[in-house]
Amino acid sequence: MKRAVRALTAHRPRALSSLLVALGLAAGGFAAWAGQDWYAAAHDGTAAYAEQRDRALAAGEQAVLNLNTLDHRDVDQGLDLWESSTTGELHEQLSTGRDEFAEQVREAKTVTTARVLSGAVTELDDRAGRARVLVALRVTVRASDGARTDKDSRMLGELTRTGGRWKLSALGQAPVGGAPTG
Amino acid sequence: MAGVSAGDPAGTEPPGDGRPGGKRPAGRARRVVLGGLAALLVLGGCGFLHGAHRLESAESARNRALTDAAATDRVAGEVGNALARVFSYTPDGTAAAERSARDVLGGRAARQYQDLFAQVRGDLAEQRVTLSTRAVRTGVIELDGDRARLLVFLDQTSHRGDGEATTAAAQLTVTARLEDDRWRIVHLEAR
Repeated sequence: MKRAVRALTAHRPRALSSLLVALGLAAGGFAAWAGQDWYAAAHDGTAAYAEQRDRALAAGEQAVLNLNTLDHRDVDQGLDLWESSTTGELHEQLSTGRDEFAEQVREAKTVTTARVLSGAVTELDDRAGRARVLVALRVTVRASDGARTDKDSRMLGELTRTGGRWKLSALGQAPVGGAPTG
Repeated sequence: MAGVSAGDPAGTEPPGDGRPGGKRPAGRARRVVLGGLAALLVLGGCGFLHGAHRLESAESARNRALTDAAATDRVAGEVGNALARVFSYTPDGTAAAERSARDVLGGRAARQYQDLFAQVRGDLAEQRVTLSTRAVRTGVIELDGDRARLLVFLDQTSHRGDGEATTAAAQLTVTARLEDDRWRIVHLEAR
């Protein structure tokens, strides 16, 4: 009796079930395809490289800005920032000459601020963690008598990635009238 | 003892046994689970697609500066050369610079340049000014298809008559557009 009832009523549900199974399979297929698409995008080497480029530029501009900012009333904090923005040889140079330099700034009573006008990455070796940047900068120095001088400078910076962070390892003015490179 | 209730066939029977749709609750549950699962999969798939789209259209990924090395070198080279040609002239040869300008400058940059030259053309000939411009460093800030922004460091050496040459530094941000397979400078801004 029960069997007969089931045979009679099972016809529609079975069709519905198989439809649902097909739908489920289609949904699974879609999800798998989308997931793979996402995986490819997430593991795209170009995207990772582009991200490092942008990080290097942001860090480079900030570090160049930091190294052109110093207030005689707060020399220690300023120089701490200089040291935390740099690594390698540049870092050593800064920390070696720190005391002498701090004394000079305190005596001169100058306040130096800067503004980044533009910046670009010219080289990036993602694997080695090295990059080069160009930064156009306007530096403003206020002397103790309130006199203000603006100076535009163009800087070449070399960055090195340490512990996942980009830091300046070399910084200099782009020479005027020198040999052409890059 | 333990088997008493478990072995009781009545215990396994659904409460609604006897009605024609006695097997329905189990079947319905299975269908609900299946439907739910399918909906979840579709939702998850949409999530993945959305994530992939966000990754691909992220600002950093759209900017091809350096990630497309050949295109980056090309735009940097063409823009550097263009600036050198347009801002280099001899007292009697400003026509060549102006001709280059018509080739490589477009939009606002072309108008800026014409205005500038209209002002100084007479003085250049009179004071025998020679200017030579060189792009010493070129960095591509942004490169997106047919549009690029660059930072260029220039050295400009000028003589007046037989006077001594002086070299000055100039920094420009340049906007360039790829037209007819050539990069044209459409905007110049001194930095």
